[in-house]
Amino acid sequence: MRLITHNMLKCHVKNCTDPNKQFPLRFKDVQLEQIDAERNDEFLVRMLPRLDWPALLTTSKELGYSLPQSVPENPVDNDEFLQALHAFILETHVKEGCMVCNGCSHEYKITNGIPNMLLAEHEI
Amino acid sequence: MPLFIVQFAHYNEDFRLAELEALSALENIPISYDAQHYSASSPFLLITVASAADAAKLVRRAILIRSIIEHWGSGPSYADVFAQVKETPERWTEYQHVSFKFSVESFGWSLTQAQKIAVIESFSFMAFKGPIRMQNPEAEFFVAEQYEEDCKAECPPEHVWFGRVVGRGSRELIDKFDVKKRSYLGNTTMDAELSLVMANQALARPGALIYDPFVGTGSFLLTCSHFGALTLGSDIDGRQIRGTAGFRRNTSGISSNLEQYHLSDRVLDTLVFDICNNPWCRPSMFDAIVTDPPYGVRAGAKRLGRRTGTIPERSLRIIDGVENHKRPEYYPPTVPYEMSDVIEDLLEFAARMLVVGGRLVYWLPTVAGEYVPEDVPMHRALRLVANSEQPFGGWSRRLITMEKIAPHDERDAHVSGASHEPAHKNFRDRYFSKFEPTAAAQTSASDCD
Repeated sequence: MRLITHNMLKCHVKNCTDPNKQFPLRFKDVQLEQIDAERNDEFLVRMLPRLDWPALLTTSKELGYSLPQSVPENPVDNDEFLQALHAFILETHVKEGCMVCNGCSHEYKITNGIPNMLLAEHEI
Repeated sequence: MPLFIVQFAHYNEDFRLAELEALSALENIPISYDAQHYSASSPFLLITVASAADAAKLVRRAILIRSIIEHWGSGPSYADVFAQVKETPERWTEYQHVSFKFSVESFGWSLTQAQKIAVIESFSFMAFKGPIRMQNPEAEFFVAEQYEEDCKAECPPEHVWFGRVVGRGSRELIDKFDVKKRSYLGNTTMDAELSLVMANQALARPGALIYDPFVGTGSFLLTCSHFGALTLGSDIDGRQIRGTAGFRRNTSGISSNLEQYHLSDRVLDTLVFDICNNPWCRPSMFDAIVTDPPYGVRAGAKRLGRRTGTIPERSLRIIDGVENHKRPEYYPPTVPYEMSDVIEDLLEFAARMLVVGGRLVYWLPTVAGEYVPEDVPMHRALRLVANSEQPFGGWSRRLITMEKIAPHDERDAHVSGASHEPAHKNFRDRYFSKFEPTAAAQTSASDCD
């Protein structure tokens, strides 16, 4: 699972509704892998308004990466910024591990890069 | 405005104009044509486009268009065509000394090689002096004879078309994505031709993010990503994604197809969850949603739940010292997900999750004899763009294309345009009862006051 996807996922357990705790999900016991990918600046720039930057920062600190505190003014012309963003959200893969909800502690397992976001019977 | 001849493929006729319109939107190339002159039984349509370069760009991704031809002449006889060609001799001079070839095609009748040569020679008045080159000529001329459908003996062509080929579609992709060539497929894998058409209907392009909520074995991720889109998929059944339930086992599922087609960079992720209980955290994320919802003939739709209502104690029970739902073997119970509910939820999901201007492209099964246009579900935030039918006898499936035209409003939830019972309701039962009229339909007919 790539980190762009993680930035779009929240805990969706029935009674877990505190927006400050459902998102972002906290990583636990993760195995990461960097895999080179073709950089697509058009995509990166179009996605910027759809990403949650503070959540991305939280996740980057958690995983030991560094990203700028905020999106620079002209991201289109900022090669260094786009490269850092690309490497973090599109080239960093979580191969194994868990995503834990800070609200209800539900653990969403990631196996072979595929997150299992199914809920248990008492959670729907 | 210059006139061009669109030469369609003679397959999936009901999808051809919709695809042409989608390509016009996708490439931002305005076109005009007289819809009265379009016929499903003819592979030709005259359209106007600003230039030959635009015409080529318009069709370069087309799946249901073979080529586009700069119109030099057309009519019921060769005499009409020659007269039109001779009106603009200044057009020929550009091609006087370049390599060229003539292609002669006939539709509804076959021509012998000798007849084709005679046709080519009849155009010798243009006196091209360049070499004839069958491979990569600098100019390619196209002659087509169109015959009446019931042409039996030596009847003359009904219409003759002539012009210079300026662009071609991408029908070779059908072979590239042929399901028989894929490392991994399942029993509901969509055929390549229509999967590619869907990518065009969805305006799949570089910079777009496209999602399939019933991803199965991932056909649409492949075709949308082929055209440059980045894609995501999810399914309640993780076995389909992982490749532990497909036709060809011992593969790593969807990811083996991504390796085969070199699309691992663009297919971002596949996730396991029930779309009715989905974890997407913000609205307006996707540029398109492209999907074939399971309608229960070969694979029944499922959602999390239990027929008799959930029993939380079952997942919370302690087994071997661990809560049941935390055990690796735990799988939550599922119930059938009725087709009309799937579609209604899909529209509401699309209204929420698409960006304004984004497209929903999905298959709707309909019962052939009972279908009425009102069966196509509507939503205040979505505009119907195209509705193309693929018939199978007693039933059809329709490729529905909708565009999000208004920001989502939570108050819209579950407001559906369908005030009557759509013919796809309980589609699975209808399919297996061979589309006998329903008891409900009979009752409502006799209930009329």
